[in-house]
Amino acid sequence: MRDNNAKAKVKVSKNTCGCSIDDLIRENLDNDKNNGKQKIKGEKEESSIKTNSDRLCAVQESDLEVYVDPDIEKVSYDFYMRKLTDGFPIVPPTRERLLKFLKYTDRQPYDVIATLAPRRGNATVEKIAINSVMAGCIPAFMPVVQHAVQAVSQEKFNLPGVNATTHPVAISIILNGPISREIAVNSGIGCLEPGNIANATIGRALRLCLMNIAGAVPGIGDHATLGSPAKYSFCFGEAENESPWKPLHVERGFKSDVSTVTVIAAEAPQNVNDHRSRNAEDLLDTIINTAAVAGCNNSHVPGEFLLVMGPEHAKTVADDGWGKEDLKRYIHENAIVPVELADRGGRKLDEQWITDDEVKITRSPKDVVIVVAGGPGRHSMIGHGFGTSSESVTLPITFKDGTPVQSVQDFKSKK
Amino acid sequence: MRVKIVEREVLDPLADSNVEKLELIPIPKDIKRISLFDNTKPNADVILGTIEKNLNNITFSCVKKPAGAPATDEQINKVAKADLSILALGDCGSCTTWVILDAIRLEKQGNPTISICSHRFAPFAHELARSHGMENLRIIEIEHPIAGQSRAEVRKKTLKIMEAVKALLRFEE
Repeated sequence: MRDNNAKAKVKVSKNTCGCSIDDLIRENLDNDKNNGKQKIKGEKEESSIKTNSDRLCAVQESDLEVYVDPDIEKVSYDFYMRKLTDGFPIVPPTRERLLKFLKYTDRQPYDVIATLAPRRGNATVEKIAINSVMAGCIPAFMPVVQHAVQAVSQEKFNLPGVNATTHPVAISIILNGPISREIAVNSGIGCLEPGNIANATIGRALRLCLMNIAGAVPGIGDHATLGSPAKYSFCFGEAENESPWKPLHVERGFKSDVSTVTVIAAEAPQNVNDHRSRNAEDLLDTIINTAAVAGCNNSHVPGEFLLVMGPEHAKTVADDGWGKEDLKRYIHENAIVPVELADRGGRKLDEQWITDDEVKITRSPKDVVIVVAGGPGRHSMIGHGFGTSSESVTLPITFKDGTPVQSVQDFKSKK
Repeated sequence: MRVKIVEREVLDPLADSNVEKLELIPIPKDIKRISLFDNTKPNADVILGTIEKNLNNITFSCVKKPAGAPATDEQINKVAKADLSILALGDCGSCTTWVILDAIRLEKQGNPTISICSHRFAPFAHELARSHGMENLRIIEIEHPIAGQSRAEVRKKTLKIMEAVKALLRFEE
């Protein structure tokens, strides 16, 4: 119980706010000195303080404030009820956690990285960091999430359409370069499945940014008829050392030691299981027959699609002397849907895409976006795209002056 | 000693938005030319055709635009030549988005618009218009669904909204 007379028991100096702790300590030290007591190393001074009062400060409401983390279950439930989460529990976004993330950016917390549709929310550095905390990211992932947000805001990506559509399009984040390896993004076995913190939380952080900054909340700003499990997270690295070809970022004009973030609007990946083909053409025919289907957007609004080639498949094709450009050209020429099956989508099939009653699902070889990833085994993956109206974007991870970031730890020296 | 346990504050993940209020262009009293802006969604042409058939003494022109993407500047400039543009159809997420955003582009250029959206997507259309500063954008709701319906059924649904179209145009028979 609080002792109402505590104030009267302790000595209060004239020039203090009323807190008696300094007086108490001084008084006891003086007593000890007068009594000839030697201070013993490690001896607690608080034992003598207690002789005068069991309160350190009679004026303040409390003597000691202990800060504790908010209850995860309580915050998760509260945020969930306010439609601020993807349904999974979140890490409570406290200021202390936010500050750790802000060490991995050279921008100010209030800097607006992008304005995100449909709600036209200002994606400030602080809001991106808060959503990254919630997603379970570690602070070093901040530069990647920040650049992914910047990438989806580019006009050619068509975020207003991608966010609001009834189509189950997700956003795949593909990482290349040294930072991908530094933060241990999985590009190998099971890179598209649970088990890696970077893959799991970077994609989730982008999704939470889309919900809380862009307003892409299911049924409000995201109108996907069924949606997609790929919307929880769809992030992985390219296995550059396993690829017989130039990695994606080099193909797009960046140096191999530049770290990049690529975003592509893609459906959840569909498997290509081919254990028997021994040459490039047979294997590519399996890929083509998996890709060229009626119900995808590519069939009526041809555009990009993502082909994630398992290293063994890539090797089979490369061993036959096929370069990446040969592969893209072959797939573009041969991934075809009959017009009577192609013209069943939301938008009327434009006649420019029809040749001899057939429709190519890509506009050009460039639309076949190829990366190599995964572990041992003879599987690849296809992620159909959003169609003609969205183009993938690759951005280098840079400081605000445009200099490429070699290591995420370099942000600390910028502070 | 009195110890106070303080739970750390949780920060708000929601972003601010800057909504700049835009003025809606009034529909002139004496409309002579109307552009029909068809995003090629199934039966959008039936809706626009039925509207055309039920408005006399007006010259119509039709321009097609992408459904899930912005119209090109050329398409926008072409429809903006008329006294008013009618856009159809917003009956899904991305097509509603770009019906509304293209309507706002036209309004910004000084061309008044009417957007047709299905009633399942109209609340989103209004919210989108509001977040882009045009809360009062003229949006007429037609009964969902439109895709996958017979032309006769869509004509019937369109006739039900003709009164609302005529009211906006202050159209006299």
